[in-house]
Amino acid sequence: MTDVAHEVVQFIDLNATAVMFLFIVGFIGGLVSGFIGSGGAFVLTPGMMSLGVPGAVAVASNMCHKFPKALVGAYKRYKYGQVDLKLGLVMAASAGVGVQVGIKIQEYILNRWGQAGSNLYVSVSFVVILVVVGGYVFYDAWKIARSGGGEQVSKLALWLQQIKLPPMVHFKTANVTISLWFTIPIGFATGMLAATIAVGGFIGVPGMIYVIGASGLVSSATELVIAFVMGFGGSVKWAVTGMIDIRLTLIILAGSLLGVQLGAIGTTYVKEHMIKIVMGTIMLIVAVSRGLAIPKYLVNLNVITMPQNTIDLLMTASFVSMCIALGVGSAIILGAMWRAKRAETKKAMELAVEEA
Amino acid sequence: MGKNGTRRIEAGGKGPLIGAGPDPPSEPGLNHSTGRSPEGQAGAGLAVKSENRKILVVGKEAGFSEAVMDYAVNLAERLGYDLITMVVGPEAAPGGMFNSPYRRYLQEKFKKQAKAAARLIEPRVRQKGLGFEHLVRFGDLGRAVETLNHEKRRIEFVINASEMSEAEMAGGVTLPVFTIKGDQGERLMAHEPKRNYNLAAKTAGLGLATAALYAAVFLNTGTVMKYFTLGGWYAALPIATVFIFSFVHGAFSHHVWEVLGIQAPKKAVQPRPAAAKRPAKRQRPRPRLRLNV
Repeated sequence: MTDVAHEVVQFIDLNATAVMFLFIVGFIGGLVSGFIGSGGAFVLTPGMMSLGVPGAVAVASNMCHKFPKALVGAYKRYKYGQVDLKLGLVMAASAGVGVQVGIKIQEYILNRWGQAGSNLYVSVSFVVILVVVGGYVFYDAWKIARSGGGEQVSKLALWLQQIKLPPMVHFKTANVTISLWFTIPIGFATGMLAATIAVGGFIGVPGMIYVIGASGLVSSATELVIAFVMGFGGSVKWAVTGMIDIRLTLIILAGSLLGVQLGAIGTTYVKEHMIKIVMGTIMLIVAVSRGLAIPKYLVNLNVITMPQNTIDLLMTASFVSMCIALGVGSAIILGAMWRAKRAETKKAMELAVEEA
Repeated sequence: MGKNGTRRIEAGGKGPLIGAGPDPPSEPGLNHSTGRSPEGQAGAGLAVKSENRKILVVGKEAGFSEAVMDYAVNLAERLGYDLITMVVGPEAAPGGMFNSPYRRYLQEKFKKQAKAAARLIEPRVRQKGLGFEHLVRFGDLGRAVETLNHEKRRIEFVINASEMSEAEMAGGVTLPVFTIKGDQGERLMAHEPKRNYNLAAKTAGLGLATAALYAAVFLNTGTVMKYFTLGGWYAALPIATVFIFSFVHGAFSHHVWEVLGIQAPKKAVQPRPAAAKRPAKRQRPRPRLRLNV
């Protein structure tokens, strides 16, 4: 990472299209992360790179917008009583360790198999984790939606909560008492995933829901605390190397601060399982997107052969499907909010008529 | 409310309002000498075609509060006056292109609400055997009152239930105006949420501050990029910058959604256990009447 700093880094010239793109993606990414706790980064980083931003600068600038966004979102959702600060800090601490391990693994793979091998590792982890976890989240949400009932604490979480392995920790807002030893691995995995695919929330939130036993609402809100702590640490690291393009960061921030607030407000309107639906949907579409990118890396590693234009087409399809993932996610959020708001207004009207 | 209604009248410490206005509301007994006839006994002893005296209650919202209506109805009953209620909605644009369908829609809505409110009030007034009329006007409250004063005869005084200050109100009105203060009671109908100008001003201020911050960075990109990418201890610059932006722009965007009416429903905001406070005692002052001429 640091050796990039000594090279002369080219910062791009901004044009209107780039500014609009960053602002809009920032807004939608903010909306999604305000709602499910993370998101946006997976489109922003490749998006910036396609604008000509060097990879390290794209990652650094993206991370630098992530922590203030998470801060604003976490603060807002804390006021709604959804954030378990203690759980967030415990998770963040263990995630910090996870990130270091994740980086070590990345470096090892990079040295052993080169850039293409590293990309392949990232993509495969993406696909495997997202399909398994995202599929389960989506299935669970679908089950809840069909039964029309509320959320239930998973059997795994209930079983783990019974194991009295000291030190036991009580998380007030999440309303869970569980051994610290089961909390740490979730944080660790979140950090590792964050170091690998840059979106730790895809494992952190489902982990808190299904392993620790917090509700979707509390988990997604608490994830924002983790994102803040980790984003802050990462940003300081990147800033020391001078990689942050503050212009890019601020443009994205302009959109995402608006979005994150709307997403946070959204959680108070919709039914709880909507968080799972949005999360599962986005994860599955992103999995498809990363899956489309795998052939390119296999070609680079000379495992398979494929004509160049097919590869280009696949990469374009991959990026477009990432955008679709965000778009679909935000559409579901806004749609659910709109329906909830309309129902609320209708109810208020009926009440007023009754009173009259 | 009942008989003690008059005790709430404040008029410079003079007690009941006698002789304060050109033709003041006086004690019920006094009215008999003026030859006012109760409803149905027109022309009893008067050369002028007798029309019953009237109290005009004006407001700027589609409904009147319970307290105001109680007060007005009781007063009218005691005095034997008729009651006219008039609500004055916001001015429609002068017409042409500005008289947009949306404005017309708002006015229609206001009219409907006002009518619904009137339907609630009317039976009460009729029950007491008083004449009742309900009017909806748009535009300036004072002017509407004055116009009505020319149209209708024998409006004796005005009870002002609007939040309009007495000075504003008295400007063009040649009738004694009494302002009801402290009407915190429930409205007789659901009223539209009021636009909070304070909030709008705050949002605008934060918006300006945000714009200024962005301008400061983007008008000096050369300098900013030079120092912000130096690394080392200069790392504090981008970090501090995003913190400042997140506070100012974050507060701004919070207010933006609030101004747009998008905010969390109250029930969803679960109070944190530590912050659970006893709800503040609600102040419900009794309505008081004040004269200004």
